[in-house]
This record gives sequence, C-alpha cells and structure tokens, in this order.
Amino acid sequence: MLTLAIVVPLVVAAVTLAIPKRHEHLARPLAIVTSFLPLVVVAISWARFDFSTGFQLVESAQWIPSLGISYTVGVDGLSLPLVALTALLFTVSMVFPFDVLGKPRAYFATFLFLEAISLGVFLSLDLILFFVFWDLSLVGMYFLIGIWGHGEDAKRSALKFFLYTLLGSLALLLGILGIYLYTDPRTFSMIEIIDKLPVPAGGLAATLIFVAVGIGFAVKTPLVPLHTWLPPAHVDAPAPASTILAGVLLKMGTYGFIRISLQMLPETFQRFALPLAILAVVSILYGALVAMAQTNLKRLVAYTSVNHMGYVILGVAAAGAIGLGSEASRSIAMTGAVVEMVAHGLITGALFLLSGSIYARGKTYELDQYGGLAGASPRLSGIMMLAAFASLGLPGLAGFVAEFQIFAGTLGVFPWLAAIGLLGIVITAALFLRMIQQLFFGDLPARWGDWKDLKRAELYALVPLAALVVVIGVVPQWLIRVIDTFSQMVARG
Amino acid sequence: MVWLPVLTPLIGGAIILALRRSQMAARVASVLVMVATVAAAALVASLEATGTWSWGGQLDLAVSVTGFGRTMVVLVPVIATAVIGFAATNSEDDRSIVKLLVALTWFVAAMELLVIAADFLTLLIGWELVGAASWVLIGHEWRDPQRPRSAREAFVTTRFGDLGIYVAAGAIFAATGSLRYDDLAAVSPGWLAIIAGGLVLAAAAKSAQVPFSPWLFSAMAGPTPVSALLHSATMVAAGAYILIRLQPTLSAVGWFSPVVIGIGLTTALAGGMVTLAQQDLKKALAGSTSAQYGLMLIAVGAGFTAAAAGQLTAHALFKSLLFLTAGVALHASGTLDLSKLRLGSALPRVAVLFGIGALALAAVPPLGAAFTKEAVLAGAFHAGIWVGLGTAAAGLLSTLYAARLHMLAYGPGPTRDVHTPPRRGEMVALGGLAALTLLLGVLWLPGGDAILERAAEGAILSPTRAETILSLALVVVGLTAVAVAWRRGRLVTLGMPARTRAFIAGWWGIPTAARVLIVDPVSRLGKWLFIADRNVLARIADSVAAFAEYTSRVLKRLVERGIDGVVWGIGGATIQGAEMSRLADDRGVDGTVEGVASGIGEAGKQSRRTQTGMSYHYYTAMMIGLVVAIAVATLWR
Repeated sequence: MLTLAIVVPLVVAAVTLAIPKRHEHLARPLAIVTSFLPLVVVAISWARFDFSTGFQLVESAQWIPSLGISYTVGVDGLSLPLVALTALLFTVSMVFPFDVLGKPRAYFATFLFLEAISLGVFLSLDLILFFVFWDLSLVGMYFLIGIWGHGEDAKRSALKFFLYTLLGSLALLLGILGIYLYTDPRTFSMIEIIDKLPVPAGGLAATLIFVAVGIGFAVKTPLVPLHTWLPPAHVDAPAPASTILAGVLLKMGTYGFIRISLQMLPETFQRFALPLAILAVVSILYGALVAMAQTNLKRLVAYTSVNHMGYVILGVAAAGAIGLGSEASRSIAMTGAVVEMVAHGLITGALFLLSGSIYARGKTYELDQYGGLAGASPRLSGIMMLAAFASLGLPGLAGFVAEFQIFAGTLGVFPWLAAIGLLGIVITAALFLRMIQQLFFGDLPARWGDWKDLKRAELYALVPLAALVVVIGVVPQWLIRVIDTFSQMVARG
Repeated sequence: MVWLPVLTPLIGGAIILALRRSQMAARVASVLVMVATVAAAALVASLEATGTWSWGGQLDLAVSVTGFGRTMVVLVPVIATAVIGFAATNSEDDRSIVKLLVALTWFVAAMELLVIAADFLTLLIGWELVGAASWVLIGHEWRDPQRPRSAREAFVTTRFGDLGIYVAAGAIFAATGSLRYDDLAAVSPGWLAIIAGGLVLAAAAKSAQVPFSPWLFSAMAGPTPVSALLHSATMVAAGAYILIRLQPTLSAVGWFSPVVIGIGLTTALAGGMVTLAQQDLKKALAGSTSAQYGLMLIAVGAGFTAAAAGQLTAHALFKSLLFLTAGVALHASGTLDLSKLRLGSALPRVAVLFGIGALALAAVPPLGAAFTKEAVLAGAFHAGIWVGLGTAAAGLLSTLYAARLHMLAYGPGPTRDVHTPPRRGEMVALGGLAALTLLLGVLWLPGGDAILERAAEGAILSPTRAETILSLALVVVGLTAVAVAWRRGRLVTLGMPARTRAFIAGWWGIPTAARVLIVDPVSRLGKWLFIADRNVLARIADSVAAFAEYTSRVLKRLVERGIDGVVWGIGGATIQGAEMSRLADDRGVDGTVEGVASGIGEAGKQSRRTQTGMSYHYYTAMMIGLVVAIAVATLWR
C-alpha cells in the first residue's frame, strides 16, 4: 500500500508530461486529484497504526541481492507523521494558485515527481533506496527554483542550492558506504542496521562515518554555518516550492539525523551530543538574530527556519545523550523535536504561501513597502497572524506543543544550553510582532487602495494548514501518542 | 465541570463574535457571558473541583480550584463584568467595539485557565495567552502606528519573564518526571532553587516589578477598560498570585524570601515616587500598580500570603475603579494631563466614586484596603525592622500619590461642560466596583483575619498597636502634606525641577537603559551577523561552489575529448549495481559492459543537448559523486 503512494504520483507525473498541448489545462486537476492518494494512504496507515511495535506496514522486494540492496518501505512513529506532513503539503502547494509561466504540464509533472521522491525518502528502509530518493529530491527542487523562480538570480540560487546540497549528499553517500562496509552479511537494510548496530562504537571509523553523514544532514537541515544556500533559494523560489523546501526538504535533514546518525550510531551520537546541541543553540540564536535584521519578508521567514531547525536538533541531541538526564526528559525532547518538524512544516508552509499571496499582489517582499493591510485584507492578516504567533510558540498553536517539550526535556539534559536557547523564543517574538506591525498595522499606503483579500483558491490551501496548527495546538493527543512510541524506544537507549 | 470558568468565556466569545452584525446584541451578550462566568466560577470554587486533560505522552493538563484560587477564580470575572459592562456602554459608534468585547472575553478565559492551573504546563499556557491577549488589546487601535509598537514592547518584555516558567517547568520535569505543583515537595533542593528562580523572574516581569516595570507604561496605550481589567486587576496580578500559591514550597529555598522582599520593596518605593512625579493620570495609576504589587511581594517574601492575597483582592477592586474613572476623565475632557483636569465640579458624582478608590489606595480606614495594608506592614516588620520601615515609607508614598491624584484629577475646579458625560451603564459599573471596595471594609469586623486566612490558606499577622498607630499617623501626615501642597499650588510640580521630575516619572531612566543596553545592541548584533552572513559565510560557500563549477568545467572538457563513454559507463554501471559487481569480478572491462556504457554515454549526450542553461552542471556534478563512490567502494573491497 505504501508503495502506491510513491509509484502512482511517479506514473501520473509521466502521464502529465504526455498530455497533448491542447489539453494542458488538465495537468493541474489531474495532479491535485493524484495527490489525494498519498493522503488516503496516510489516513489508512494512521488508522491501522500499531502502538506496540516499531517498523510496520513494511513492503519489501529484492533489488540487487548480491549487494544487499533491496526495495523496502515502511513506517514507524517517526516517519508516519512526516509522511503525512509531506502528503498534505504537496496537495496544498498544488491547490495554491500559482502562475506556472505557461508550462503547466512540466510544472505539475515536476511537482508530482518531487512528491513521490519526498515520500520515498521518509518511507525508505534501505539506505541505497533512501540515498537515491534523497539525491533525486535535489533535482526536482532544482528545476522548480531554476525554471519557475522569480528574480534575476533564480537560476544562480537554484544552482547554489543544488551544488551545496549535492556536496552534502556526497558526504552522506560516503557515510552510508562506510556503514555498509561494517555489515555482515553485507546489507543496506535500515531495519537490520538499526537492530544490530554493526559499526563498532568508539573507533575512528565510527567517528568518520558520523561526521560524514552529519555533514550531509547539517547542510540539508540546515545548521549554521552550512545554511547559506537557504536564504537565496527561498527568496527566489516560487511560493509553493518554498513551502515544499521548508516544509518537506529541510525535514529530510533532521529525519536523517534521527534515523541514521542517532539510530545507527547511538554511541557515537552520544559522544557528539553536546557539540551537536551547541551547534543547535548557535543556529537557534543566529537564525533568530539574523531574521530580526531582515527587511525582506521571505528572507525573514527563511532565517526563522534556521532558528526552528535549531530547536529540532537541540531536542534530538538531548534525546540521544544517553546517560545524561532522565529517560523521561530524553523521551519528551524527542517527541518535541518530531512535533516541531510537523509544526514547522505546517506553519512555515503557510507563511511561505502567504508571502506568495502578498508578492502576487504587491510584487515586492520589502516589508517597509506595506502597512495597514489588516483593514484591506482581514483574512490574509488573520491567517498570517495566526501563523506568526504559532511560529513564535504561542500556546494553543502547534509550535508551542513542540517547543515546550523540547525545552522541558532538554533542561533535564543540557540545562545551560536549554536556558540559552530559550532566548530564541523572545527574539522570534520580537521579530514576528514587528513583521505583523509593518505589514498590517498603521496606515494603508495609498497605492494599495485596491488591495484584495485572499481568493477562495488561496483559502483552500491555507485553511487546512491553519486548522491543523490549531488542532495540534489544542488536542495534540493523536499526534503525540504515535510519536511517543518512537521516542520512548530511542530514549531507552 | 472544573473547566467551566474557562469554557464559558471561550464559547461566549465565539457567540459574541457571531452576533457582530447586531452591535446591540453583541454588547448585551458580552455582559451576560461574564455574569455566567461568575456563576460558573462560584460553582467550581464551592466544589473545589479538580480535573485533568491528557495531551498524550507525558503531558497532562491539570487544573484545580483550591486555596487562594477559589477567591481569584471568582474575582477575575467579577471585575471583568464591571469592566466589560463599562466598555459595552462606553464606546458609541465604534465598529471595533465587538472586537474589543470578544478579545476581553477571551482574555478572561485565558486568565481563568491561569488561575485554576495545577501544573506548570497549564500555567504556562494561561500565562502566555494572557500576554497575547494583552498584545491584541493594547494594539486595539491598530491604525495608529504607535500603539502596536507599545503592544510589542509590552509583550516582548513579559515574554522574557515567561522564560522563567519554561525553566521552572523543565526543572520540575527533570527532577520528578511530573509537571504538577503537588510534586514540588519531592523536588531536590538544587532543582527547587532553579524553579524558584524561574518563578520569581516570571512573577517580577508579569507583575511589573523592577526592572520590568516600564512595560506597564507601554501597556497604557490600550483603551481604558483594557488597562482596568488586564493592567491593574488581573493579568498583572498573575505574578503575585503564583507566588502566593507556591510560597509554602518555594520558601524552602534560602534566598527566596530576601530576594522577593527586595524586589517588592524596591518597586514599592521606586514606583511610589514614579507615581508621585507623573503628570499623566493613566501612567500614574500604572506606576502605583507596580508599587502596590511590590507591597504584595513584600508580604509573600515575609511569609504572610494571606496578607498579600487580601491586598491583591482589595487592589483589584479599587484600581479597576480608578482606571475606569480615569477613562471617564479622558472622555470628558479629552486629556489625561493632570495639570488640566480638576473635574470635581463638573462631574461631582464621578468624583465621589474616584474618591472612594483614592481613599482605598491611600489606605484610609475603615476601608478594607487599609486593613490589608496594615497586615502587609505587620508582616514586613516581622521580616525585619528595615523592611518594616521601608514598607512604611512606601505606604506613606501611596497615601501621598493617592491624595494627589484625586485632587488633580477630580478635585474642585472650574464648572464646565464636558464633551461626553458618563452614561448610565458606565455609572452602574463604577458604582458596583465602588460598592465592593466599600464592602471589603467588613475585614475590620472581628474575624477579618480568619476570613483572609481561610480564603488564602495562608498566614496573616495582626498589626501591633504601635504598627497601627504608625500607619494611621502616616496616613494623616500624607493627607495633610497633600492638602498643604494643594493650597500652595505645588501639587503638579511638587516644587521639583522639571528634568528631575521627568526622570523619575519616566521610571528612573529604565526604558532608556533597556534600550541602550539591551534592545539596541541586540538589533545591532543581528545586523552585524547578517552582514557577516552575506559577506563571509556565503562567500566561503560561493568559493566552494566556484571550485565545483571549475571542476565540472574541466570534467566537461575531458568528456568532450572522448572519455565521455567511459565515465558515463562507470556512472551507469554504479546505478546498475549488478553489472558493477560483475565488472569487479572480471577485473576488466568486458565487452558487454562497454556496450552498455557507450549506450548510456550516447543517451547522456542526447539528454544534455535537450537540456537548457546550466543543467549540465547536474550531470557533471553527479559524475564526480559517482566516481568518488566507485573509488571508495573498490578501494575498500
């Protein structure tokens, strides 16, 4: 069943390309309808989720048995929420109205291709399969930014994104091969590697492998100082692509940290937990401070992503610091980190779509060009304020559920780092309130006299995201229980 | 059941919003919702209800209506009823009145959650939500660019304090695996000190204590009903409230009492002088709010939480009364400048109501506020002679500024026509608060101590005869001094140089210091980091990218010289892993593979031709990857 979620979008992507020119308007409806299939698959998986076991709904097929490579997919408490997030974000990004520059077939084919690939990354339970999907995700995003990006620098930003993350994935590949060389019998099966932990703890090899995969994931996450590809990519990317980039692709980095660095090299991870936590706190503060200096709406949101990914990594580092703090603290930190991945995907996804709505109307991201939009567009302002408050961690919204658990857990593991990291939530409060103030309050500049509120199609994309942000903020049980099956296992060490 | 005080205003707010097309209905509904909330609160208070709501995993939201919470849970909607009643009759044509009423109603929901919280997660939720409500309400008139800015200052300052609750929550969780107040007793001394530190920080910020006090000035940008409800009676009370609730466990930490007393006493004295020097009626009331919460903190630090709880209740009633009457003054005369008001002759009935509030603030018996303040003074003397004397001085200051405010705002003055005299609904709201202020005088009856002890589940100390005489004497001295200054026409300037007065009235320069020492450096740091980000970090990354581009160009040249087929062959072979293993076994390039390889190479050329722009980078870069991969794989074999 999980395989369907990957294969069907891929097949329909090819079909979309084959649509005759005169029927090209069918590309969008076809793509949107197709994107509902992964959502259905997620719903069924969620309904059938078995709280007493780890990997489940596993589907496996021989691929290259002589090298121990197989096609294996499955979910657990970590990947299922991310698969759900991916499926949802792709659907809303395609629903969101966007000028495809006269190439609807190519655009929606790329989108469906990228959806299949992204689902593949989170579903793969074979390292080679994982890597193939991982690398192909770069290709899809490269084309989205390069072809449909705006600004003169779109191509350049796309290339920068591509080369940067490709170098990261080379490091990742080396690390994966390193792990592989220690398996006996040789296998790329993630289930087996996690089960048997083949890489001997404490040795130089383990360190090298950890550093290699760590660089790969740190670029993708991104962690400071490997984040410089992110702001230009976001600024030049079209709004739906930004949503996917922030909401889905960044999660691949944090997912990798958990699935590979933490689960496959636990002892090494434990040794490096403190430096990793320090990097996370640096990212939290650096991302927040630099975001505060932004005058460009999209770059501001991009830097807050650096800040939020810092929260995730802080929680992950605390969860993997076996031996420090209590099991309860580590477990809650991990749950918080995974909830943050989902919350950030929804919230930042919404913020980027809204930036797109604002850009479509005003043709600029410069905050000081706007003002007083609250009166002219109450719906736009309302959803944007909700997303901004969610992003700054207001209770009742998804971000708080995540950040509270991350900090409550990390305080028991790395008390000082958690206390310093907490300053990040004050800075994000200041910068988001300033953003709201500049966009929505004060006088409406005369030239925005005919400013329009959100159209129905935009609401179709945004309301589900906003609603989920509230639902997770108020009744997060359904999400936390699934994730907890995973966190408790990891925290036990 | 126990959630009713939260759910009633929460759902009620939605109903008011749904009625927005009919302003009249929305106004009436808002008052009814508050009356219903009072009833719900009284019910759960009498039942001492408790409850939990699981968030899954290790998170439970626990609530209970116990101790001082029983009083507080009723006090909040009682004051809100008066304030919302005032607001609902006050603004006439305003379309935004519905938004104001809904926000006030939802604020009550958040505040009630804070009051009934029985664990740190629930507390934090309520604590941050009232802060957000405060932001919305201060910036209510958002078209004026200055008000949202003030709202942001207030929110960010108090949020810094919220970090203390995050820390406290993390600490109790680390120590016990639970977030409940009940488990505080089981916490080890080290963690307990951290929890106490976090809570003192949070309480000081929320209750506008030194050095956080100036945020309350920013908060005065909000409409008067907002100031009356949030920024005097309820939200600001949260800091003192949580310390009253948790003092029994926190006092085990050695520094807790002296630090809390120190903060309270400093604020009471500094804030008292701020109020005395202020020339803006609302800001003066804000300064006195800080000072009065300072008195409560002194009592908490001294260990007499019932005295603090009594003072909190009395203050909530008379200060919301004073703020609302300040709103009447603003409406009537269009200004809050104390040198221009003197509305006593124009609005004699309102002046009487303000006078009742001012007498309570001045602690004149037989008002209840005088009783609680004497109890605070007795507690302070119990903590130490200097604490007692300091508190007595703070008490004198409050008598001085209360009398001064009354004379300047509602003292006898010219009879003139006022713009907008108060409406009947407003007078009813004011009258209700004044009646409750007077009613609190029952505390003077025998058994007043016992009432407070039972209500707060804490201790109170009866003042000695000397302490009673001292406080009465100070009241007399204060009132006399103001009368003399009034006669001499010095009540506005106090005979002080204007600059000194402005310095004190502006919270002793704290806002400037905060800007110079914290706000500006932080935003400058952000700008510097951004410059570094663009010019250093990104440059390094760019040069890496340039190197990769260079390599790819070199490779491309090699490709064009005919190695194309071979490289692509190897590349293709890796993807076709099966072939690769055969390749390794045969220790050579066998014909079949070569055929496949050149085929793939051809395809590569074709596809490259069809791609536009820089996509060749992808292929070349991909090749580097594969070549490296193969090299590694074969070397390690």
